[in-house]
Amino acid sequence: MTTTAPPVTRPSAGAPDLSRGALSLRRRLANQIFLGLFVVAVLVAVIPLGLVVWAVISRGGSVISWEFLTADIPNSFRRSGGGVGPAIVGTLLITGMAALMAIPLGVLGAVYLNEYGKQRPLARLIRMMADIMTGVPSIVMGLFIYSTWVLLFETRTGFAGSLALACLMLPVIIRSTEEMLRLVPDELRQASLALGARKWRTTVTVVLPAAISGITSGILLAIARAAGETAPIVFVVGITSSTNLSLFDGENTALPAQIFRNASQVFEPAQERAWGSALTLIVIVLLFTIVARIIANRFAIKER
Amino acid sequence: MTTQTQTGPDPKTELSSRGGGPRADRSFQVLTLAAGLLVLAVLALILITTTREAWPAFREMGLRFITQNRWDPPSEIFGGLAFIYGTAIVSLIALIFAVPVSIGIALFLTELAPRRLRAPAVTVIDLLAAVPSVVFGLWGVLVVAPKLVPIYQWIHDVLGGIPVIGAIFGQPVGSGRNFMTAGLILAIMITPIITSIAREVFDTVPRADKDAALALGATRWEMITGAVFPHSFGGLVGAVILGLGRAMGETIAIALIIGSSTQITANVFASGNAMPAVIVSQIGESTGTFTAALIGLGVVLFIMTVIINTAAQAIVRRAEIRMRGTAS
Amino acid sequence: MNRNVLSRRALVGVAVAALALAGCGGGDDDSDTGTGTGTDASAGASDYANLSGELKASGASFPDAFYQEVITEFKTVASGLTVNYNAVGSGQGKKDFGANLNDFAGTDSTVKDTDGPAAGSYLYVPTVAAPITVSYNLSGVDKLQLSPDTLAKIFQTDIKKWNDPLIGADNPGVTLPDKNITVAHRSDGSGTTNNFSKFLVAAAPAWKLKSGDTLDWPASTQGAEKNSGVAQLIKSADGGIGYVDFSDAKASGLSFAAIKNKDGQFVAASLEGATAALNGATIKDDLTYDPLNAAGPTTYAITAPTYILVRTTYSDAAKKDAVKGFVTYILNEGQTLAPEVDFAPLPEALKTKALAQLDKIQ
Repeated sequence: MTTTAPPVTRPSAGAPDLSRGALSLRRRLANQIFLGLFVVAVLVAVIPLGLVVWAVISRGGSVISWEFLTADIPNSFRRSGGGVGPAIVGTLLITGMAALMAIPLGVLGAVYLNEYGKQRPLARLIRMMADIMTGVPSIVMGLFIYSTWVLLFETRTGFAGSLALACLMLPVIIRSTEEMLRLVPDELRQASLALGARKWRTTVTVVLPAAISGITSGILLAIARAAGETAPIVFVVGITSSTNLSLFDGENTALPAQIFRNASQVFEPAQERAWGSALTLIVIVLLFTIVARIIANRFAIKER
Repeated sequence: MTTQTQTGPDPKTELSSRGGGPRADRSFQVLTLAAGLLVLAVLALILITTTREAWPAFREMGLRFITQNRWDPPSEIFGGLAFIYGTAIVSLIALIFAVPVSIGIALFLTELAPRRLRAPAVTVIDLLAAVPSVVFGLWGVLVVAPKLVPIYQWIHDVLGGIPVIGAIFGQPVGSGRNFMTAGLILAIMITPIITSIAREVFDTVPRADKDAALALGATRWEMITGAVFPHSFGGLVGAVILGLGRAMGETIAIALIIGSSTQITANVFASGNAMPAVIVSQIGESTGTFTAALIGLGVVLFIMTVIINTAAQAIVRRAEIRMRGTAS
Repeated sequence: MNRNVLSRRALVGVAVAALALAGCGGGDDDSDTGTGTGTDASAGASDYANLSGELKASGASFPDAFYQEVITEFKTVASGLTVNYNAVGSGQGKKDFGANLNDFAGTDSTVKDTDGPAAGSYLYVPTVAAPITVSYNLSGVDKLQLSPDTLAKIFQTDIKKWNDPLIGADNPGVTLPDKNITVAHRSDGSGTTNNFSKFLVAAAPAWKLKSGDTLDWPASTQGAEKNSGVAQLIKSADGGIGYVDFSDAKASGLSFAAIKNKDGQFVAASLEGATAALNGATIKDDLTYDPLNAAGPTTYAITAPTYILVRTTYSDAAKKDAVKGFVTYILNEGQTLAPEVDFAPLPEALKTKALAQLDKIQ
């Protein structure tokens, strides 16, 4: 790794080097120690994360095959074979639908907070409530959807899961998007307004594109969190062993639910399916991350 | 790039037609307001439905629901103090480990790392935030917990004799499933989140501020403490709150690792339980007042988040005022 | 794997044939109704292929492994009918049943007023039973006997060491080590906990923690998720003891203690012991029964029942046939599958009554 790159190799713009020799020992030591600690922090975080990923790849990798990715879910925990095809489809559909609902609403909400509401009492209330909403445990969100949507329509569906996940994603998207919008320099807005663009036009064509990279990053975090949620899926989506392409008709399933269900079995084939599902889920999110990054870079206004 | 045409609006001739008139502006504002209000609506609905469902337990137990340390479903006694304590202690441990590490990584990425390393590193961090919590739980309980037992034992042997500190590092449980392991696993889970946001926040520090500090002869570390930290304090608190939100609400992983004992002890090596873990593990086989009590724990968790957020916002506001004070 | 499935199919086939034979011969010592339903059922067996649609079910996780196995086999005879069983827990299953969210529910416990389903809207169908083992991990001790009172005192941590004289009294001639006992229990609400504690309430006067799906366990005990979690917790701690269902305990390779039954005999957990307990239990009119601490010399004392809740009326005729068909399959062919996945089949008499119960569905 290049982590050991000395901090002085890149002469930063405008910093004259001549002061270096004049530094007192104490200042130099403090500098070295703390910069060294940053590297240590990276190692401290990377090692366990690397171990988790390694565990998933090594145990899940041997399970993954075309059959595993496409075949129906076997009911038996003891027998090997079969796959998690329906759960992959379910994850994509449920999370996709949740994103479809939460992203526009979240971004619009953030636009309200940063472009219109600013520090007004209502905006501050919404901001605070969004923070609170991020703290709502996923199981409570699942219970909420269960006691409203599911009991009302007397059926568990993929869409109920999408609703629960969208509720989990919404506040995260709002808050992260707002943070990013705040970073857009006011000069950009003023320039656009001065040129005669209306405020909504300015927001859509200047402010949002300027912040799109950061917004995407926040949205990805939200989707990642949602895609891995287990408890609401188990409660409101139900279970199926064959692919269900409809979000509104019939029960569905998703990868986290399959991980949870199989991991709590002692039988080897079930545990293998759990690890395989975990790897599949991570890969799906990875692919999605890369695609989203490419899109974001394409639309981003380059740094000045 | 094509973006140039987007940023540079066309000549003045289009002045009046740009954006379709005041009505479009107005409806856009209403649209965004509606999206913002949705948060309030959903939150209100959650509060109403969950409180309604939890009411039988609240009525039965009153304030003892959060002050009594006895969770005895067969006798219909639901005092959840131990779970509140567990949630608090585990989140605290997670933050103690995750916050410095995350800020360290974020600073490394923004201030130290070579530019070409940054983009892949950022992608990796975002990806790590995507590892499902149930996987962390599995890994924690199967791999980590047993391996940590000797380390806990060693810490206990070394520090156990000292008063106060000795009580914190008490006799570890044999399985390694305890507050500390749960807190450590949580720390790993929230590190990518805090890092990601902290990094974005540090990125916003104006280049000019940093250059000015360096030009005045500051070392890199002094530049960070003098220019970067003051500028990004509010954002960092936001990052920590987001991490705390996930830590407090984390369910499946904690349910697997915390050891599931109903007890309040200063010993971080003892097993305990946390509110979301209790809800998810016990709700399947619960009925009547018991179900109500479990949903009630969710409501309590809610209220705790309200309090923490309010406090955090007060901190941010004070910091901002102070910053503005020094700036002018 | 293929061979495995084939041999299993052959087994089921033999079982069906045997049933038909039993029906024709009427050689069973059970009543005539037994033979009658037997023939009915085998006539129905050929109709499985005509069933179609989808059945949604949720409930107890205790029999989940058995139901999933049955569903797998059922697919081979009734390809038109899909059955999904979601092991969300008995309590949730009953709530779903009351809210009309499932077509049938699995439950380990009987329905109480506050559970969801309205009185008269459901029928109990017993399906299988299974022993709950008291599994332990104690190096050097491969045979352990426990009386109910000793068991109770261990689990409420009155007894803290393995060489306690009370344990010694149950195990004459066995040298017990001077080790701490680590008690493992379920952290999730569970029918296994409920049945285990019900047994202690019935058999051990010393037991003070009452019975329920979740108990007020002493602080020094440890909880783990699901049966497999408890099994794994016991395995990871030398000196560990806990209650685990038979299927998971066997699959984890744990050793289990022999428990003193009502007749004073120490009997180790086994399917035969469980079936003996069912024979010794009194069956109520609604077909619920309590096999815990049942009489009989070969009875395993901690045997848990499990039921399926079916609706008394189904508005949809196809759904009614599907539910009837699937549950009939569980009670006939499924019973031969049960021992393979470590569940105890119902005794013939109870099975006959269960099949008769299905005829009450409107």
